[in-house]
Amino acid sequence: MASHPLLRHLAGEDGIRRWAFYVPVAFMVLFFAVPVALTLVWSVFERTIFWMEPGFTLDAYVNFFTSARAENYLFSMIHSAVAVVVAFTIGFPVAVFVRRRVPTAAQHRVILLFIIPFMISELVRVFALRPVLGRNGLLNSLLMKIGITSEPITVILFSNLAVVIGDVVSFLPFMVFAGFLAMEAIERYVFEVCDDLGSNTLRTFKDVIVPLAAPGIFAGSVFIFVNSIGVALVPTILGGPGAVNAGLMVNQAIVALDFPLAMAISAIMMLTLLVLLFIGHRLFDLTKILQPIN
Amino acid sequence: MTSPNETAVEVVDLAKDYGPITALDSVSFSIPRGSYHVLLGPSGGGKTTLLRLIGGFVRPTRGRVLLHGQDVSDAPPNKRPTSMVFQSYALFPHMSVERNVGYGLKLQKMAKEQIREAVDQMLGLVGLEGYNRRMPHELSGGQQQRVQLARSLVLESDILLLDEPLASLDAKLRKDMCIELKRIQEKIGITFIHVTHNQEEAMTIADRIAIIADGRLVEEGSPREVYERPVRRFTADFIGENNIIDGRVTGRNGDRFSIDTGFAEVDVVAVGHDIPTGTEVAISVRSELLQLLRESRAADGRVQTLPATYVEEVYLGLTTLHLVRLPNEIEITVRQISGDMAGSVFQPGQAVQVGWKTAEARLHTE
Repeated sequence: MASHPLLRHLAGEDGIRRWAFYVPVAFMVLFFAVPVALTLVWSVFERTIFWMEPGFTLDAYVNFFTSARAENYLFSMIHSAVAVVVAFTIGFPVAVFVRRRVPTAAQHRVILLFIIPFMISELVRVFALRPVLGRNGLLNSLLMKIGITSEPITVILFSNLAVVIGDVVSFLPFMVFAGFLAMEAIERYVFEVCDDLGSNTLRTFKDVIVPLAAPGIFAGSVFIFVNSIGVALVPTILGGPGAVNAGLMVNQAIVALDFPLAMAISAIMMLTLLVLLFIGHRLFDLTKILQPIN
Repeated sequence: MTSPNETAVEVVDLAKDYGPITALDSVSFSIPRGSYHVLLGPSGGGKTTLLRLIGGFVRPTRGRVLLHGQDVSDAPPNKRPTSMVFQSYALFPHMSVERNVGYGLKLQKMAKEQIREAVDQMLGLVGLEGYNRRMPHELSGGQQQRVQLARSLVLESDILLLDEPLASLDAKLRKDMCIELKRIQEKIGITFIHVTHNQEEAMTIADRIAIIADGRLVEEGSPREVYERPVRRFTADFIGENNIIDGRVTGRNGDRFSIDTGFAEVDVVAVGHDIPTGTEVAISVRSELLQLLRESRAADGRVQTLPATYVEEVYLGLTTLHLVRLPNEIEITVRQISGDMAGSVFQPGQAVQVGWKTAEARLHTE
């Protein structure tokens, strides 16, 4: 079966190892590579009333870039970036705190607490934000009670703000997990050296922790960005007019039976992410940072 | 006790408990300014805890730490005149050599130009001139430890703490680095406190050695003192290759004590000791001071002998070990320069006598 030397090397010689290689490969090809390829192919198919037919046309792309979709897509990227920044600001210090201040034996247990929200359906979690952010919601009641505003602020729910909050709430654990794993890889000595040299908390954070945890922060950020831009659920429940993300746009295109458009948006999302990954890789020089010290 | 301006470190009744575990138990001693002081002892004996207490990385359970006469017991590491070189390669992996060494100065808000000068000078001192732009992962273990040394020295602290700095280096490199550490210390003249479990390293480098075990200061002295005249049985057992024989005092004639080993009687000289008859004691004699004899000499008081059975010979190149068994089944090591005794003059099982000069054995009561 495996005649090429590289394949032989990857798959190994004996039975079980070969299956452990080929079964996942078959799975990935069938359910990952083929749909990705089909997405690209279908995005240039001709649209018909209920489906599409083979052909080559860039109509779907033209449609995307000449409608409000391109603008919405751009906003969706910006909002996702904001969600990443907020999640970093809130989530990464949690990871640092747990790693640095919680007794070693309890650290993993504390981090596991952040899994609990994942046990509640995301639909329910996001929906539960409505009574918090709504016109007569918890947040408005609180703001009025302490006198910051006399009338309920109506722009919180069904707006981009609500979508960003929803994204942060939904995907914050990614930053905590990835940040914690990155912090775990940093040697304890490094912090003692900082203490010895007289580096204060902020300096240590800026000069040492963030650069050393950059791969983890980057990984967490990518997870959050991908989900913020792609999960249609959050803007469906919390967004309003104009507060959409790429995932919701795809959804809407499918509902409108414009399959090539849905595929084109997906293809653009993939390209966006590839570019971002490439930039991130160049920016953080991940391979160099990950190089073992010894 | 020396006056404060000659004492770099003074610890008073210092103790550290980790929950129910006592890491350090009431240690008091002082380290003179400008000396190379080694804390030597087995792993888990408390020497690293002591160093970390001096550096401020650990807060004492009891007792005080005085540095140059100042009580710093509650001061954080950076508020002490100390700087630490860590055991593993504790460089910032994302910073170049230059930035690693200069980071402490940058925190002190020194001007860039001055930092560069100080860094260059320090890299020169540790033998790494021109390595400014290298990254830690591009350096060997020895080079990384040199960078660490430079990073600490550049701060011009008065006391340098070294926590097993050579532990991760191979034997040859360790020896070279030992000599170089000593050279650097002599050149800049500050106090070095160096923790190690390696006896040879300690002997090579130290002005004074403090032996730390079971959370206590066992004994302190110059390398020659602890090697040649250990006071405690533990020191004799830990330093050098000592043969230890237990016995009981049966009589005394001036400074000369008679010891009953259970199978023979030997005399040991112990000046200034007052040991009552019947006390359990131990005698130690270093293996290189022992002689193997075919038969008992006429006892003239200058030489002591014990009967033994020859076990085997172990050839080690420079030296040869001869293992013999005493009547109480204790095995004794006799070490000779190879060739001194024409090979295999003794056969396994042969009855021999182990002898030493009376003055070369020491008596231990604790």
